[in-house]
Amino acid sequence: MTALGYTLPAVVAVLAVCVLEFAVLRTGLFRRAVYWISMVIVLGFQIPVDGWLTKLSAPIVIYDDRHTSGVRFPFDIPVEDFLFGWAMVTAVLLLWERQRLRDQRRNETP
Amino acid sequence: MDNWQYLVVLAACLAITAPLELFGTGVYRQAWRAASAVLPVAAVFVVWDVIAIGGHIWSYNPQYVTGLELPGDMPIEELLFFVVIPLCGLLTYNAVDAILVRLRRKRKQKAPST
Repeated sequence: MTALGYTLPAVVAVLAVCVLEFAVLRTGLFRRAVYWISMVIVLGFQIPVDGWLTKLSAPIVIYDDRHTSGVRFPFDIPVEDFLFGWAMVTAVLLLWERQRLRDQRRNETP
Repeated sequence: MDNWQYLVVLAACLAITAPLELFGTGVYRQAWRAASAVLPVAAVFVVWDVIAIGGHIWSYNPQYVTGLELPGDMPIEELLFFVVIPLCGLLTYNAVDAILVRLRRKRKQKAPST
C-alpha cells in the first residue's frame, strides 16, 4: 500500500485537531485573527527549517517514499509535513487558549 | 561537527524566538501553562514518531544526529523537536496577540470619543 504510512496519519491528525476544537474544547481559536496571522508566520519559518531537515542532498530526516504521496514542495519538503506541523502547533495553541478561557471565567465569577 | 546539525537547528529556533518572550505576558514566564499545552501534544506525537520509526516510514541520518537515543530508537533531537517547535509557535502567537491588543488600544485612543 502506498502513502498510507505518512499521508493517512497526517490527514487523520488534521481531522482529529478539528474535532478537538469543534466538539470538545470550543475555544474559538479559528475565529481569531491572531491565530491566522501567527500560522502564516509559523509557516514562513517552517519552510526554511523543514527544508533544511528534509533536503535530499543531505537529509537529516529520511522518508520512505512508499509511505508518502511523493509530492515534495517547496524545496524537498514532503507536503505531509505541513499537515503534521499544522496539527502539532494548532493542538498546542488550542490547549494554551483553553487555559486563557479558564482564567477569564474564573475572573468573571469570583 | 556534522553530528550536531539537528541540535543546532533546534537551538537556532529557540534563539531566534527568544526575544518574543518580551511581548505581553510571555510564554516562559507562564511555564506551567506552557507545559500543560506543550506536553500532552508532545506525548501524542512521540507515540506517532516511535510507531513511524518502527515501521521504517522515516528515519534519521546518523551523520547529523548525536546518536543519543531514547527507547524506540528515537533520537533525543526528535524528542526536543516536539518541545522546541511548539514553544516557537506559542511565542509567535503570544507576540502577535500582544501587538494586536496594543494596536486596538491605540486605535481606540485616536477615535473621537462619542
